[in-house]
Amino acid sequence: MLDRDRSLVEAARRDPARFDALYRKYLAQVYSFALYELGDHHAAEDATERVFLRALAALPRFREQARPDDGPEASTFRVWLFRIARNTVANERRARRRRPATSLEAALGAGLAVADPADLEADAVTRDEAGEAIRALRALPDDRRRALTLRFVDEMTTAEIAGVLGRSEGAVRVLIHRALGAVARELGRERGTRVGDHDGEAPPAHDAGTRDARS
Amino acid sequence: MSDEVDALVADRYIDALLAAADRHAVDAPSNAAVDPDVREAARILRASLVRVHPSFRFEERLAGRLADLALSQVRPALAAGGSLVELPPASASILDADPLVGAIIRGELDPTDADAVEAADRLPPTRRPLLVGGAITSAAISLVGVAYVAWRASRPSAQGRSSNRAMARAARAARARRVAAGVSTLVIAGASTAAAVTAGLGGPG
Repeated sequence: MLDRDRSLVEAARRDPARFDALYRKYLAQVYSFALYELGDHHAAEDATERVFLRALAALPRFREQARPDDGPEASTFRVWLFRIARNTVANERRARRRRPATSLEAALGAGLAVADPADLEADAVTRDEAGEAIRALRALPDDRRRALTLRFVDEMTTAEIAGVLGRSEGAVRVLIHRALGAVARELGRERGTRVGDHDGEAPPAHDAGTRDARS
Repeated sequence: MSDEVDALVADRYIDALLAAADRHAVDAPSNAAVDPDVREAARILRASLVRVHPSFRFEERLAGRLADLALSQVRPALAAGGSLVELPPASASILDADPLVGAIIRGELDPTDADAVEAADRLPPTRRPLLVGGAITSAAISLVGVAYVAWRASRPSAQGRSSNRAMARAARAARARRVAAGVSTLVIAGASTAAAVTAGLGGPG
């Protein structure tokens, strides 16, 4: 079986009410993609709603196109769904350029640096690091930002991202590599700025502690 | 060429990083072939870019709207069997949530086509009739009323004579106008759905 969602898709085609299973399965992924793209909970909810309404309306015309190279975990339904999401979110971004958006850091709120309490690696990421990562992501051009979001948030393979973005796998790999390089440079710049701030304005931590103790 | 090779190596590293996170591994995998700065950026992104679940209230509200849309999609088959289906009044709100859904249902718009979606989104919102469940309607018309008219027009009178109820009279009048105007009947899912009847109800006179 090439498409891991084949049975769910076929059930939904026979009975559209069974689309609910696909909806529940991919809700968080689509919503997260919209949230990282739009940076606002309400806008992400509106976009998510449109994505699933459009997907259900278009489901009779969905055609499975998984290739053997895509591997046993490939889901062409997911790629198809995210193509709808990409177009929906892109339109919303165009509309929102006329309006100021809230920051993604604020939208994500307290949960920013704690993905899963059981995930020790996530716990090791500081709020500063997470904020820097979000800012670096949002500073990227559209295609690079989308590719990183799909790779790291939605954990898509390069082949799936290629399907969503309409590019070759090789082009997506290069896109992600360059995006990572840009994020690395941005993170380095942020840290350099922060170190510079400490050097020029604020005293080192132990000095501050001494000063506090004195006052 | 070097860029592609570096990209391939970095891609393998990200695969390993994501797999390690799925296993709740404490240590990130190491790969000396990947630039340390890129490795660190990937590690931070993996840990920072969390997947977010929307609120339970939003999830259930959207589930309800999808159920309404699903019901409207199965209704033609039920109508063909002669049974009256009570449409949820919330169906009209689907058009308010997304005006493009009607065009997608009609097969006029492919939501995966970026150019087509962008062009459609630039159009001013209209109250174009929507094909829902085999009857032409719009958000301004009661869907229950449309369902009744479609059902009533598709079956003969039980007593072998015409009904004098208001909806039936309106249906017959509109059908007469349609025949006089030479408008063909819309046939969907085996049900003769009297599109012109609906248009007659929604139009002047």
